[in-house]
Amino acid sequence: MTPLPMTVIGGYLGAGKTTLINRILSGDHGLRILVLVNDFGAINIDADLLVSAKEDTIELANGCVCCTMGADLFLAVGDVLDRRPRPDHLIIEASGIADPARIANVAQAEPDLDYAGIVTVVDGQQVQALCADPLIAPQVLGQIACGDIIAVSKCDLSPALRQTLSGLNTTAVLTRTQDLNIAQVLIAPQGPIDLPQTPHPAYTKWSFTGPDPVDRTALQAALRARPEGLFRVKGQVRGPDGAGLLVQVAGRDIDIGDIEQPAQSQLVGIGLATKLSAKACDLWWTKSALRKQ
Amino acid sequence: MGKTLLFHAKSVVTMDRNQPRASHVAVRDGRVLAVGGPNCADPWGGAEAHVDLSDTVLMPGFVEGHAHMMAGAMWDYAYCGYHDRIDPQGQMHNGMTQIDQVIARLSEFEATLAPEQPLIGWGFDPIFLTSERLSRHHLDQVSTTRPIVIIFSNFHLLCGNSAALALAGYDAATNVEGVTKGSDGQPTGELQEMAAMFPVMRRTGIDFRDLTQTDAALRSYGEVCKRAGVTTVTDLFATLGDEDVARLAAATARSDFPVRLVPALGAMGGTPAEIAAQAQAMRDRSTEKLRLGAVKLMTDGSIQGWTARVRAPGYVGGQPNGLWNTAPDQIFQLCEEMQRQGLQMHIHVNGDEAAEVTLDALEAAARKHPWPGARHVLQHCQMMDAALFRRAAELGVACNIFANHLWYFGDQHTALTIGPDRAQSMDAVRDCLDAGVITAIHSDAPVTPMGPLFTAWCAVNRRTMSGQTLGPAQCISVEEALYAITQGAAQTLKMDAEIGSIQTGKRADFVLLGADPTAVNPDALKDIAVLGTVLGGEVHRL
Ligand SMILES: [Zn+2]
Repeated sequence: MTPLPMTVIGGYLGAGKTTLINRILSGDHGLRILVLVNDFGAINIDADLLVSAKEDTIELANGCVCCTMGADLFLAVGDVLDRRPRPDHLIIEASGIADPARIANVAQAEPDLDYAGIVTVVDGQQVQALCADPLIAPQVLGQIACGDIIAVSKCDLSPALRQTLSGLNTTAVLTRTQDLNIAQVLIAPQGPIDLPQTPHPAYTKWSFTGPDPVDRTALQAALRARPEGLFRVKGQVRGPDGAGLLVQVAGRDIDIGDIEQPAQSQLVGIGLATKLSAKACDLWWTKSALRKQ
Repeated sequence: MGKTLLFHAKSVVTMDRNQPRASHVAVRDGRVLAVGGPNCADPWGGAEAHVDLSDTVLMPGFVEGHAHMMAGAMWDYAYCGYHDRIDPQGQMHNGMTQIDQVIARLSEFEATLAPEQPLIGWGFDPIFLTSERLSRHHLDQVSTTRPIVIIFSNFHLLCGNSAALALAGYDAATNVEGVTKGSDGQPTGELQEMAAMFPVMRRTGIDFRDLTQTDAALRSYGEVCKRAGVTTVTDLFATLGDEDVARLAAATARSDFPVRLVPALGAMGGTPAEIAAQAQAMRDRSTEKLRLGAVKLMTDGSIQGWTARVRAPGYVGGQPNGLWNTAPDQIFQLCEEMQRQGLQMHIHVNGDEAAEVTLDALEAAARKHPWPGARHVLQHCQMMDAALFRRAAELGVACNIFANHLWYFGDQHTALTIGPDRAQSMDAVRDCLDAGVITAIHSDAPVTPMGPLFTAWCAVNRRTMSGQTLGPAQCISVEEALYAITQGAAQTLKMDAEIGSIQTGKRADFVLLGADPTAVNPDALKDIAVLGTVLGGEVHRL
């Protein structure tokens, strides 16, 4: 069975996580999305959406002693994985004080799940004050630091705000919530990377095909040092001495597995057009993985 | 009208100052009819039957104000802890102070399992076994084919053998936070935090819900209580859906279920108004043996996990301040709504900052919606000082203090978490009593074993595992400790009008003891045998 892609939507109380989830549910993607809600007061998901998109379901993590160990949410994830049929995509709405990275980590650990990224929603009007509040700042800063995408709600992305946020997280894609392309949240690393068709194509797609072998260490190092903005990379790489390597990269998750040796290395990547050019990707791959000057 | 039973004991320690000692208790319809000598039932037409308990000392049944239902069903797994512990069937499990002993215990347990069954252990605590880390190599000595999983006592770590790791596909190529690797690049077997633990737990059938939401778990919990002499017990942070309530009502009603259960609804997964509505709806479904309607709030984490929210100067090792499980804003919202709707709250506060924020929230709620007698309860209260206790007293807030920590973690708090000076004054039961606060003490089972006499011993002696007396200024008397595990705890549950002392009109809930706790050396309090309990006049002998 193909792994279930999982996206975590994090952010402090009232940041606008539910609004974003409603947008995702109402999107024209044809996917069966299951949302696990783990937040206080976050059940305001538009019931109409559930009726119109009837496969979508909402579940609520139960409150039990497991909450104190953080187990409740994972038990609920286990229930989702046991469902037949499984949904196409799992979205977890993290609680307002949860560390989304701790939740998303399960998608890297669990073979039946695929890490599909963390979206941290930030209330643009509140964020400065929250980051200055000694009671809660460390947890809010942690939420911002772990996002693959930071979606700013309730105001424009002013230069000052942009500077603050990119200072707290240098690698994340920064966007206003209303500009966030839903397809970007729902791309499954396992599935074919199709360029989302939007009126304003905001993505750069990069691909590579070639016969030269790359060893695991060099590959790992190259992927770690990939250009800023190259959010997803997947494909097969020809290794030395009959080896083959399966590559899946999403955000900070770099996964290299063993496969039969392919005749050619084949990789595809995707990133935001504002941050990435295919040429920069070519240059990076040639220099760091193939070690050609 | 039922029969009049006359209980005859070696001595009756009533916890009622009007008549502190007696030899006989007359009981009718589950309630105390009279207390006194052999003739105490005479004004009521005499006794129709005698219950001979003359080999025991009778006290009011103990009240455990903070414990969790999973304390019972954990014993389905193999115990791997450092301390001696007694299982629900009364069998003693000696603590294991060496990894070799853990291996030997697991090998014994393994021999009892069906071929396809994974071996699950619990209660292992590396904080006490410092020579080497438990690894998959140790567990492979027990079996290389059967998956083995040892859950650590804090539930935040586990160790698996090679077969268990293979189930989740963990190997040298795994690059996941929490999957610990050794110098050879291979996983050591130790998995940290739930995300890394989950794939192994899922594939070995470990589901914590089975430890609480089943009849078997409830029965086990009842046995644990009986052995500890507890006749009223909480389950703080329960999942209470419609079916859960129906199941609990049916199971607790059975005459062989030996304890009154007070579950508190975990405040999670809804708005404050929704949580309140759920608690209101179940309050009306309470029975004599099942008391519903209270709500439990989490605030911070634990001190020994460095996740409690502490005030300046913070942790001695310079660790960052802890984590909120419920944000301060939410604590304010929840307190206001529960107060408005007349719902009693039990609020987890370990660090002093969590206590302070919670008292602020309770004060704000009390200004908006005055409710004399709300009697909300702060739970754990480990770092509260005299000033915070005085605020609690002013607000009519009760405190249930985690006295067992003094023995189990006192040395660690001195050396590692908050330093010697604040460790001396932690779990300050003396300050709490002196401030005039309604005071109880607790075990937080299964975190530490349930045993109110042991908890009382901790509060009286404040001894740590290394033998030092931690903060003698906070010691309390035996009488005060006995108050805290009966009357005090009953008051935190608002049940003091019906339990907590042996007194005419109250429920006939007793504990049968091997000796009078007020007559033994205070150092021997914990060694007094529990011989059984009486619940509503029904005798449950061990
Ligand atoms: Zn507890």
